Order: sequence, then structure tokens, then C-alpha cells
Amino acid sequence: MSLMDKMLALDQRIIFALMFIALAFPILSPVILPMNIQQYSRDSFEFADSIPSGSVVLIEGGLGAATYPQGGPGLEVQIVHLLSKDIKLVFFSIGTETAAWTVTAIDNALAKLPSGVAAENGVNWVHMGYVPGGESGVAAFANDIRSVKTEDHFGTPIGQIPLMSDINKASDFAALFWWGGSEGSIPFGIRQIVTPFGVPMTGMCTTNEVPNYTPYINSGQMIGIIGGVRGSAEYEYLMGMPGLALGQAMATNFGGLLWALLVVLGNVLYFVARREGGAK
Amino acid sequence: MSDRLVKMQIPMILTAVIGLLMIIEFFFPMPASVTSLNVTLRSFVTIISATALILGTIVLTIFHTKKVGTRGSEWYYSIVYVVAFVVTAGLGVLNVRDTTFLWIYNNMTSPIGAALYSLTAFYITSAAYRVLRARNWNAAVLLVCALVVLLMLIPIGAILFPPVVPLGEWIRSFPSGAGFRGMIIGTSLGIMGLGVRVFMGRQKEHLGIREERRDSE
Repeated sequence: MSLMDKMLALDQRIIFALMFIALAFPILSPVILPMNIQQYSRDSFEFADSIPSGSVVLIEGGLGAATYPQGGPGLEVQIVHLLSKDIKLVFFSIGTETAAWTVTAIDNALAKLPSGVAAENGVNWVHMGYVPGGESGVAAFANDIRSVKTEDHFGTPIGQIPLMSDINKASDFAALFWWGGSEGSIPFGIRQIVTPFGVPMTGMCTTNEVPNYTPYINSGQMIGIIGGVRGSAEYEYLMGMPGLALGQAMATNFGGLLWALLVVLGNVLYFVARREGGAK
Repeated sequence: MSDRLVKMQIPMILTAVIGLLMIIEFFFPMPASVTSLNVTLRSFVTIISATALILGTIVLTIFHTKKVGTRGSEWYYSIVYVVAFVVTAGLGVLNVRDTTFLWIYNNMTSPIGAALYSLTAFYITSAAYRVLRARNWNAAVLLVCALVVLLMLIPIGAILFPPVVPLGEWIRSFPSGAGFRGMIIGTSLGIMGLGVRVFMGRQKEHLGIREERRDSE
């Protein structure tokens, strides 16, 4: 077997090792390189920034163990952003696991809050917990919260939560933030809340899912989107709160460049081999 | 009551009536009684979904327990499931906010989930190296688009190759956006067609009719 053939059939363990080094190195030795902000992220940030103080917004926490590293840091910074503007937050999740991760996001965000920002459970924010039933559950929640939930995630009866006293349907919210991760549930929010109730919405999904939702952004049904770890990093950057996501985004620099390099190398070798009459 | 009435006609009528109630509310203002009925029906969906989850867990547990009992193929994996289920569910039922339960969740479930998801980076790179080659014009277009969008998405891409930003945005917003829009419209039309067929009683799979026929053959 010639060197060319060996390179074309490169052992995947070598590729795995190279990728591991490319991803691990920037995380272990953080280097913050310059970055530009994507328009979708900027739109999403500006949408959150434009919500008037005192408004109540709805947040779907759809991040799980697999997707929290991508979206979690962004959600945490957004919670800080909104609470700092005296905006009240109502959380819910359409998965049991994601409901637990939403608690993690809230806890981490509260730990990052500047002193003096009000963040009392039940007054400034409330987590309504798991809403079962997928899209039907979202529809039911949007139409009549009390028909779906009688208590919040921590077992407090809804009647004893001051923030919920005047809230019972989607039209009571000024905005919707759908942190869908890889749930594929962003259209639930568009179909069941944006269209019937006219509530403006922005969202978050994993990087690979961004093209799925561009039609909704182009049509104006959704205002921007936070895409994966880079979107979270950009939110951190715009908020001036560099954190985990910014470091991870730097890792994607090296991982992405290695990917591009390997693909180009594979093509160069392929053409050389084809010219020599080897590759098909 | 005849078997056909119970197994087919009543479920088909129920499906059509409930489906119509849901759709009508979406397009026309309805009296409070209809809205209230719909709220109740949606609560049924929530209850049925939750029950299905419990039922699924029970069926899965019975399957794995039987497999361990009969020493079926790769039965030892079933032991892992049964032990994990008993310990986690047991602790969760006792107290979902118990430290031990949360420890299991935070230190086992979460890292496993994150690790499995992150494996895609390695497999995608390996697959791209082997498969993403400009073998013909179609493949070449795919390759160039992939490289441009990737460089647009990585934070340093725009610094190293500034033209990838407008080009990548264009690819994402127009060709890719148009493709996804077509897919969404196509899927929606398909769902509408399926809905009409269900209302008219032409689609019977949700009643288990196809399975029934196969069983009887």
C-alpha cells in the first residue's frame, strides 16, 4: 500500500486523536481570539434588550444534559440580562430532564447576578416545571396555565405565587424565549403561542439546527436565534460577561479549522490519486 | 354492540369530532362552552401522555426482567438497565430532591448524555474526511458550501476569510432557507392531507387496523 493510499484510508483513530487535541487544547489553555457577532444573535440580544422593565416574559427551558454545554451559558446570561432589567420570568419545560436543567440554569444565573438585583422566587421569577403532552401540552399551557399546572416545579400552589396572580395565558406575556436545544420544539412555540396570541418570540437551538429555523426568521415569526455554543458566546460577549461559552467557542475555532483542513487534504489527495489512476 | 362498531366506527367518529373541535377553535371565535370543552380535552392529552410514559417504562422493565430471567441474548445489558432503573426510580420516588438521587443524575446521567452528544464531532470529522470529496459537480458544490458555512460559523472564520460571512449568510438564508421552507410547506400539506383522511375515516392505522389485518392473515 502506497503512502497515498494510506493517507486516503487514514485510520480514524488518528483523526479522533487530532480532533481531541484541537478541542481540548483551547479549553485547557484558553486563548480568546477576535470574533464577529452574527446578525441572528445580535437580533436576539436586541430583542431581549428592548423589552420594557416590569414586563413578564415566558421562557421555555429545553436544554438537557447533551445540549446544556452549548446553550446553558447563554441561558444563564440571558436570565441575568432580563432580571437586571426588572423583567419577571416564568419558566416551563416540555421535558422532565430539561425541567431539572432549567433549575440549574436559574441557580447559576442567580449566582452571577450583580448585587441589588431583585431575584425572589415567586416574585421576580417562577419555574412552572414540566408540562407534559408535547405540542398539545404547550397549546393547553398557552390557553389556560391553571388547567395544566396547579403548582410550580418546587411544589408551591399556583395560588400562593404572587407573580402568577395576573397570569393565566400566553397573551399575558410580553415575549417568549424558546431555549429549545435539540428538542426540535421551536415550531411548537410558533404554532401555539406566536401565531394565535401574537407574542413575539426568539429562540435557541444547536448550531446544526439553525438552518431549520431560518424560514421562521425570514418570515418574521421569530426574531433572531441563538445558535449553539457560538450563539451563547456572542450573548456573553454582548453582555460583557465572558464565561464558559466564550472559551468553548474558541475550541470550535480549532476543531472547525481542523475539520476544514482534513476535508481539503482529503480532496487534494483524492485528485492526486485520481490523476495517477488510483482513486475512483 | 357489534365488534366493528366498537373497534372502528366509534373511535373514527371520536377522532373526527374531537379533531374538528380543535381546528374550529383555531379559526373561528367559539362560545365559552366549546373553549372549556377543548381545555378539558387537552388536559386528557396531557394525562394520556403521562400515562403512556409510565406504561412504556413498565413494558420496558418487564421486557428486560424477562430477558434476564430467560438468559436471552446479551442479557447482561438488561441487568444494567434493571439495576439502574430500580436504584434511580426508587430514590426518585422516595425524594426527587434527595442528594443521592441528584448525585446519580449530575454525575452519571448528565456526563453520559453530554459525552454521547460530543462524539458526533469525532465521527462527523472522520466521515467528512472520507466521503466529502469533489467526485462530480454536485459533490463539488456541496463541498464548497460546507466549507463556506463552516468557516462562517466558527468565530475566527470571518477574521481569516472575511468574504465567507456574506456568502455563508446568503447560502443559509436563500438556498438553504428555501429548501427548508419547501420542506416545512410539504410536511404541513402532508399533515393536512393526513388530517382530512383521518376525519373521513380513510386512514385507519391509528386504530391498529393494518396490524389487525396482518395478524389475521
